Amino acid sequence: MNLPRPLPALVAALLLLPMGAAPAQAAGATHQVRIEGMKFVPERIEVAAGDTIVWSNKDFVPHTVTAAAAKVESGELAEGKTFRFVAKRKGEMPYTCRLHPVMRGTVIVK
Amino acid sequence: MKLSRLAAFAAAASFTALAWAQGGPSDPQIAGIVVAANQVDIDAGKLAKSHSKNKEVQEFAQRMITDHTAVNKQAGALVKKLNVKPQESDTSKALKAGGKENLGKLKGLKGAQFDKAYAEHEVAYHQQVLDAIDKVLIPNAKNAELKGLLEKVRPAIAAHLEHAKMMVSHLK
Repeated sequence: MNLPRPLPALVAALLLLPMGAAPAQAAGATHQVRIEGMKFVPERIEVAAGDTIVWSNKDFVPHTVTAAAAKVESGELAEGKTFRFVAKRKGEMPYTCRLHPVMRGTVIVK
Repeated sequence: MKLSRLAAFAAAASFTALAWAQGGPSDPQIAGIVVAANQVDIDAGKLAKSHSKNKEVQEFAQRMITDHTAVNKQAGALVKKLNVKPQESDTSKALKAGGKENLGKLKGLKGAQFDKAYAEHEVAYHQQVLDAIDKVLIPNAKNAELKGLLEKVRPAIAAHLEHAKMMVSHLK
């Protein structure tokens, strides 16, 4: 028995759809912040609650992502290391590099 | 105070374009200046870490040791890759002599006096290094990778300068 030609494609599309789109939506979007030239780039980032932020250290000196009030502490990130954080609580979260206190950034969770 | 200001001026003068009236430093001389400048601050950091009882000063000192060691590691890898041998110059020699003089002065101080002298010298020193990077080292670096390294190091020196100023203001 021959199936009509478009059917396999449709089945494949239906099978692929939940695998691709649905879980990504449930986990929230991912935002990248580079730590480069002794700065958080971008210094200010707006995200939705449930989104993930990934900081990547591009400098050859170690840095941290530290928000003392929010109890967020990445520990020392050597060059090339990353820190992932899921933003849950809405509001403004100022943070700094504990090692270089002149470096400052802000996460706004909406 | 007068003497330390004079010493700071002498160190600054040796860094600036005045000292290179015969043409700027060569790449091997620039490499020699970079290594000397970092080592001087690592040595001062080691002394401050063991002498100071102030947590902020100790943490700053550790930061200088870690960051300037990282810069020298990068510089070492680059000169090896480029097959350049860091060369002494009047500037690298003046840096080492200035560093030694600073250590001698600091060793005679204790407590808050030590902290203040170390912190103030770190401000002056990073300002001089930053000026040297902008006015002498970057403009004269011929190799693109060496110039790139200096450009990459510059923000760290600028951040250390601001950090040192912050430390001075807390010690007052």
